[in-house]
Amino acid sequence: MSTKQRFSEFKKRMQPTIKEIKFTMKKILESPLSLAGVALVSFFIAISLLAPILAPPRDWKGYPLRDPFEIPRDPDEPYTTMPAPPTSKYPFGTTTGNLSIYYGCIWGTIYAFRLGLIVIAAVLTIGILLGLIAGFYGGIIGELIMRFTDIILAFPGLILTMALIVALNRAGWSNIDAAMLSIILVGWPGYTRLIRGEVLKVKTEDYIEAARASGASDLRIMVKHTLPNAIYPIVIVASLDIGSIVLFAAALSFLGLGAPPNYADWGQLINQAGDWVSYGLQYWWTFLLPGLFITLFCLGWNLLGDALRDILDPLYRRK
Amino acid sequence: MGLQDYIIRRLILMIPTILGVVVLIFAVLQMIPPESRASLYITDPKQFRNVGDVIKKYGLDQPVYVQFFAWLNQILHGNFGSSQLGGHKPVLTSFIDRLPATVEIVIYSAPLIVFFGIWLGTVSAVNRDKLPDHITRVTSILGTSLPSFFFGIILISIFVAQLKWTTLYRLSEQGKLLADISRGTFRLYTGLYTIDGLLNGNIPLFLDALKHLALPVLVLVFIQSATMVRVTRSSMLEALSRTYIVAARAKGLSRKEVIYKHARRNALIPVVTISGLLVGGMLTGLTITETVFNFGGIGQWAAQAAIQLDVSIVIFYAMFSALIFVISNLIVDILYAYIDPRIRLG
Amino acid sequence: MEQKNLVEIRNLYLNFYTYDGVVKALDGVELDIKKDEILGLVGETGCGKSVTSLATLAMVISPGMIESGHIEFDLGKEKLDLLNIKEQDRLKIRGKQVAMIFQEPRAALNPVYTVGNQIAEVYYHHRKEELTKAAISEAEKDVKNAKGFKRSIYKRELSLLEKMLKNPKSLTVRFASKIPILKRFQNRIKRVVRKDTVELLRLLRIPDPQRVIDMYPHELSSGMAQRVVIAIALTCNPTLLIADEPTTNLDVTVQMQILHLIKELKGKLGSSILYVTHDLGVVAELCERVAVMYAGNVVEVADVMAFFKNPLHPYSQALLESIPRPGQKFVSIPGTVPSLVNPPIGCRFYDRCRYALETCPKVKPELVEIEKGHMVACHLYREG
Repeated sequence: MSTKQRFSEFKKRMQPTIKEIKFTMKKILESPLSLAGVALVSFFIAISLLAPILAPPRDWKGYPLRDPFEIPRDPDEPYTTMPAPPTSKYPFGTTTGNLSIYYGCIWGTIYAFRLGLIVIAAVLTIGILLGLIAGFYGGIIGELIMRFTDIILAFPGLILTMALIVALNRAGWSNIDAAMLSIILVGWPGYTRLIRGEVLKVKTEDYIEAARASGASDLRIMVKHTLPNAIYPIVIVASLDIGSIVLFAAALSFLGLGAPPNYADWGQLINQAGDWVSYGLQYWWTFLLPGLFITLFCLGWNLLGDALRDILDPLYRRK
Repeated sequence: MGLQDYIIRRLILMIPTILGVVVLIFAVLQMIPPESRASLYITDPKQFRNVGDVIKKYGLDQPVYVQFFAWLNQILHGNFGSSQLGGHKPVLTSFIDRLPATVEIVIYSAPLIVFFGIWLGTVSAVNRDKLPDHITRVTSILGTSLPSFFFGIILISIFVAQLKWTTLYRLSEQGKLLADISRGTFRLYTGLYTIDGLLNGNIPLFLDALKHLALPVLVLVFIQSATMVRVTRSSMLEALSRTYIVAARAKGLSRKEVIYKHARRNALIPVVTISGLLVGGMLTGLTITETVFNFGGIGQWAAQAAIQLDVSIVIFYAMFSALIFVISNLIVDILYAYIDPRIRLG
Repeated sequence: MEQKNLVEIRNLYLNFYTYDGVVKALDGVELDIKKDEILGLVGETGCGKSVTSLATLAMVISPGMIESGHIEFDLGKEKLDLLNIKEQDRLKIRGKQVAMIFQEPRAALNPVYTVGNQIAEVYYHHRKEELTKAAISEAEKDVKNAKGFKRSIYKRELSLLEKMLKNPKSLTVRFASKIPILKRFQNRIKRVVRKDTVELLRLLRIPDPQRVIDMYPHELSSGMAQRVVIAIALTCNPTLLIADEPTTNLDVTVQMQILHLIKELKGKLGSSILYVTHDLGVVAELCERVAVMYAGNVVEVADVMAFFKNPLHPYSQALLESIPRPGQKFVSIPGTVPSLVNPPIGCRFYDRCRYALETCPKVKPELVEIEKGHMVACHLYREG
């Protein structure tokens, strides 16, 4: 078969899936709340993509920055700890040490996306692997895996994450990488349980029996049959979770365990703003703007996840 | 009897989880050099001078299984070691000192969260897709998106810094004076300043403590009720779509009777379990709020310990959390079985 | 034998407002239910028979809405149009003069309340006065026969009951209902209700009714559960009993038992039954008259014998032909039910009908009486 033929065959097979996706998208665009969610998420995606244009990663002399996530400080300006209000030079004002909050917020978006997506990808991979095994095979392996997730879930996530970050720090890890690893280690049990639950539900369906009867291997059944049908709740939870993960990471940064002080990280910016809260609303831009970014980011994903839940559920039933 | 068997079964299942927690903690502990681990066994600050003796005494350089039982023995005797830094105080004492702060927040937040959650969730479900529903849904989604520290900071900047209505920590300076045991005018009963204030007949203290609780409780209630509202709403919608609702209406019952007598009873079953888990989770999950408001509870204590890698405190807090988690799950499961006749009677 | 009409449904239009559009589920339904008869309502899934049966109670499940129509109910003392009265008044009729039994019996019962509780609910809702009076007369007897201390207790109970009869919402009554010792005056009523419930369950051939009263729905077999559902419906001796496929989800043997039971009860209680089903065998077994529905319209109404001997509507004929018989080839009706979002203008059966005429797709046929008691909505019979 030529490549062209193969491709058209593939397109034909994907038709029903494409139809489903088109239908889902249409539904998303119909409700105002889900529309808002899509708008917000798109807004942030746009910011991440346009970051080099919106906030060029150059120092104030014009030279490209070594690390675009380090907020550049203008050496021509006298160093001051006092925040400066929004001006044309600093659209969102500055925080301690002449750091542009605007720059921090824009590049913080990429940082948030990077963190969220990497963590979700890792947690999903682990969760799907273990969840499929635990749900599909059951027995002792399944029980062991489930007991293990129970034990990890019993632990206080935040405290352990913090301790782990500090420990890894001493072992030479950067805070950021340590944070990502810690969140992954604390987060995978949730997904494992979820996926196992879905696999259990799907396992009793007739088409699994049919596939087995036609001699399909276990792996084939798992990937081709079980997974696509267990995927809906996972998509919903994952999209809701991106928000929570970023929120969690921001909390870690706020407590001082995230990115270093001059880094473009929303939580870190609020951490630095902590010094200025005692002045009341006088230095509002130091915490209100980064906080707004976090809230809207989380809001967008929550609205999207919620909308997906509403839409995919009656669809589910209609099938 | 279905219920008794069920409880016994759940209790038995609890054991491997607790065992697993303990073993895991111990395994992690082993990765720490013996000198640092010594703090887990010492309660008397003077002992710190001679760490070598401690190591020998508790066999910290002995094979693993010997250590394990030595450690278990310690724990079961209530000796959780002392904090490595900051005064070398025994862990258990510090814990008991700080527990009331957390408990006080939980006691005032939990009922409010459950109340608002169930009330607004029901209103939302009953008026589906109409104005009350939209307002509630937007607010509750906001509640789940708003970072607690951000909300806390906003409130602080307005009410503490700008309006100077209250201060951080549990009491103002005058309040601290009023609650000073050494002055002889105040007796400590529970450690909860609101209750102790009342028990001491000291109304200003009671009011002061209440005022300082207002903001942290507000943050907690706003954010956590959001989850409750959503759970109640979806549970109610699920119950309202069942056939027995149609059957009840066919009996001639009014819409209101059907909602409150038939639907709600069923809808509240999963809601009760969620609120049980919520309250359990709050005891260990107030870290950020406590830190922002400098409330001096166990969450803040554990956070500081984590940053300083104060092993004994972190380990203790981990065990405490695991215990709370397991117990609250057990209580919730029992409640569930009790409320739902389908489970109670097998 | 000219029977009077108990219910007259005229021009019933009902729509469902869904994501995919407005589903015109009932398109001018006309139906008569006579007094003291068993009328079968047949049709395939989606033809609107369940919706019609619910509508007879003036009930619609969202996202449905009754657009227009009349449901005339002859209650003896008065005639009411169910769609034209206040909801409050409708609540007095539902469960009392009209009652419904459902397809999935265990789903129709609330899982968190006992059987007795759910039957008692109907008593308390509709027959409170009667029960209170019964309790009062019992209390009066007790007052007469008792002496001293006991007598004063009974006297107090009696006075509370009488107050409840006169003004159930009065503060005294509501107060007394909450106080532990005082509220025992309600026990008399509870006892009366329990006694009546046991009788009712016995009437429905439920073994060991005393025990069943305190059981929960999930503890019952589906046959038992269905009897309970029927018991709930019969609490107030309704004039009309609506049965929405009550035996479809039951085992065949249980099905027969329930059918016999229904027949027996109808004889004893003298109510009419609207029996919704897709099973023509049940119709033949149980019903006196039958109405056939297709895609939101009633297309034929006839006495059962006349219907089976001489089905007039092409759809009815196709239905009867498609009943599987041994030795015969399996016949089904070609085509599918039309979309009710964009229904055809004329006859809705047009594209599957083997006798289709020119007028059929253009003009909607009306229900016309061809022979005595035999009505059909089809252009074939226009000319008589």
